[in-house]
Amino acid sequence: MTTTTFGLKYVTNVGFAADFGGRGFSLPSSMAIRADGVIFVVSRGKSSTKNSNGIQMVTKDHDFLGQIGTYGAGLGGMMWPTSVVLDSDENLYLADEYFNKVTKYDREGNPITEWGTKGSGDGQFNQPSGLLIQDRLMYVVDSRNNRIQMYSLDGNFVGQWGSGGDGEGEFNLPWGISDDSEGNIYVADWRNDRIQKFDSNGNYISAIGGGKTSVLDRPSDVAVDPDGNIYVTDWGSQCLLVLDQPGNILETKRGEADLSPWSVEYLSSQDDERKARESFVPVYKADTEDPSEVSARMEPYFWDPVAVELDQDGTVYVLETGRHRFQIFERI
Amino acid sequence: MTTIRSRQEALLMAHLLRRAGFGATPYEMDRALSMGYQAVLDDLLNPDHPDVIPDDLIRRYHVDQSDLRSGGGAHWVYRLVMTDTPLREKICLFWHRVFATGTTKLIQNRVVTNQIDMFREHGMGRFDDLLVELSRDPAMIMWLDNQDNHGSNINENYGREILELFSMGVGNYSEDDIKETARAFTGWRVVNPDYMSIRMRNNTARPYGYMSWQFEYDDDDHDDGEKIILGQKGKWNGEDAVRIICEQDATARFVSRHLYHFFVADELPVPQWPHEDPKDPEAIDVLCRSYFENDHDIGAMLRTLFESDFFKDGGSRYARIKSPSEMVIGTMRLAGPIDLPSEETYMADAACANMGQALMRPPSVEGWQGGTEWINTGAYVERVNFAGRILNDPDKQGVRDIIDRIKALSGQSTITSDELVDNCLEVLGPLEVLDTTRHGLKNYASKFGDMKWSDESLSSEFDRAAVAIIQLVVSSQEYQTI
Repeated sequence: MTTTTFGLKYVTNVGFAADFGGRGFSLPSSMAIRADGVIFVVSRGKSSTKNSNGIQMVTKDHDFLGQIGTYGAGLGGMMWPTSVVLDSDENLYLADEYFNKVTKYDREGNPITEWGTKGSGDGQFNQPSGLLIQDRLMYVVDSRNNRIQMYSLDGNFVGQWGSGGDGEGEFNLPWGISDDSEGNIYVADWRNDRIQKFDSNGNYISAIGGGKTSVLDRPSDVAVDPDGNIYVTDWGSQCLLVLDQPGNILETKRGEADLSPWSVEYLSSQDDERKARESFVPVYKADTEDPSEVSARMEPYFWDPVAVELDQDGTVYVLETGRHRFQIFERI
Repeated sequence: MTTIRSRQEALLMAHLLRRAGFGATPYEMDRALSMGYQAVLDDLLNPDHPDVIPDDLIRRYHVDQSDLRSGGGAHWVYRLVMTDTPLREKICLFWHRVFATGTTKLIQNRVVTNQIDMFREHGMGRFDDLLVELSRDPAMIMWLDNQDNHGSNINENYGREILELFSMGVGNYSEDDIKETARAFTGWRVVNPDYMSIRMRNNTARPYGYMSWQFEYDDDDHDDGEKIILGQKGKWNGEDAVRIICEQDATARFVSRHLYHFFVADELPVPQWPHEDPKDPEAIDVLCRSYFENDHDIGAMLRTLFESDFFKDGGSRYARIKSPSEMVIGTMRLAGPIDLPSEETYMADAACANMGQALMRPPSVEGWQGGTEWINTGAYVERVNFAGRILNDPDKQGVRDIIDRIKALSGQSTITSDELVDNCLEVLGPLEVLDTTRHGLKNYASKFGDMKWSDESLSSEFDRAAVAIIQLVVSSQEYQTI
């Protein structure tokens, strides 16, 4: 009998608090990775600072390539963006839970079309929160309607499944969505504290977590590697969890970010902050057990991890809303 | 048929729910009257259920309130509107006014929100415990520079304010007491004080967003020498200073006057207290006795207050001008639950600010004085516009309930314009108004004539008339008082 050990090691992080736009992110909510290594990160921004809304383009090597879209109600605009995804033609799609719509951008970032209005009927949304594209079909997590809707890539309604509840195939404010190499679909059933697994037609297969003793605590997003290992941003515990298919935890990461090159560059121009940082203790014993508050105090830790993505090399990216960055891990 | 007794009970209950909460919807009033005054007071003081506010929903759907760099006021507004433990929230507003701490200096909202959480936990407990927690509170430490209060070089700021603004009031201690109290609090600081101070001073969220602060006691930085505080000699630390302060008669009087000012009737502004007697000296004596007889317990003092004649008497009704937060929150609660995410919370937070009470952004360490400070022409217009805007939609759950109750009170399928006004005042309180106010409302309502709701068209017409009267009632001067 052979056993496989699983481990992740921290590599680096990309990010910087950019409240007023420019290089960095502002309360990022989702990310997508293109085959050429361009990473699209959507910033939700503060309600008081509209110009930080947008989809920033970066690489894992800390290149900042610019921004697509901006705050606004017109085609291509956004207000409360929640999810971004790429299709096989490298068009980009963005869900917005304020406007209850999905916007499609071409490869150059030009908005092409948009669809959706508020409601619970076919083709309507109540706060879409997650997008997945599989075989030219888009799956939209229609969060407040507790269902998954399916669309063609031009926005034509194809079908749906799910309803409110905690039974099999039911949801309680689901959030992120992903699939595995066999085409099965995984949904972060956020307020049911579980990940549900379906076939591509929405037939329930299994679940990890759920109930009062759940191994998961408000999971926000999920990704699955070719070996079937399941990566979960466990938003409630502020951790990245890796589980096997039966639901055993293989790895837990709390986050360990150091200073990114962008941050080092910033501090090089801030003499007083850089000097004060010489005595800075980034992680210490917290006097609270509230994971969110602990994250708010410890700079290296994940703070509100909302998205996990894998690239074609199996590198793991964890996006944190609270710290305006993503941390990168590799298998060991 | 309404008896005189039940009418008086309803008026008294409405008074209690306005002062110990934010008023009542028709259903809340029904429930309260069925419980009775004493049971309602018990529930307000010791709610037997947990706070039901879904913090996870707030954090998920109000993303910029999750890290609380900004939006702290809106975050609190949601809780204030939705809470079913209103006195607990009211006491948070009370201490926020007394221990005024502002994001204007601290830059981030999270630490002030944490301070409000602390008020929620300790605000109705022993005053000694509250003052110790306040002294350990990271937001307060940074607000009053106690991270710069070193054993070798004291900073008097916190030592001065804990005596002047937080416990005893001017004239009851000496300059030496300030210095000695400051010495007692040396070494009380936050973790990473240098870096956190510079980030605050530079107003920067860079590189990775704001960091919440944690209390830390540095024994090496504490002055362990002998001190004399208010006549008591010893090697006092901060907890000892608090104990000594809380033993003082001046502290009991100061806390009592603040409670009276907030829950009973508008007093003079605090800076005048050393020179002017309280509005009701006997009431202050009653509260002081309660302070000492109940081991400095604030909850017990509140019970004394709400059970007292000086509170229950008609004279204290409408004796205070509603603070902007009381006006805004009370009106929103009338309109019904708010969804998440919602721009309403941001709008309400901004409205409070426009009316002169920016939550978590007090004008100074002295907080808000209240009373006539709240009313000027601009603020009054803002109040009237806000209340009218919030209650303008008959499809909002709360407005619908009010309209339905107005109909039900008529006891038939038709209503006169006079009845519409009377019923509206009844449902929105009961709200006691001057004859001139009632006459003005009826004069305006007379244009509607007799109304029915027997078909859809008439029902819509009635809704519009009812909303118009509701909006006029909340514009009245009586609605602006409490």
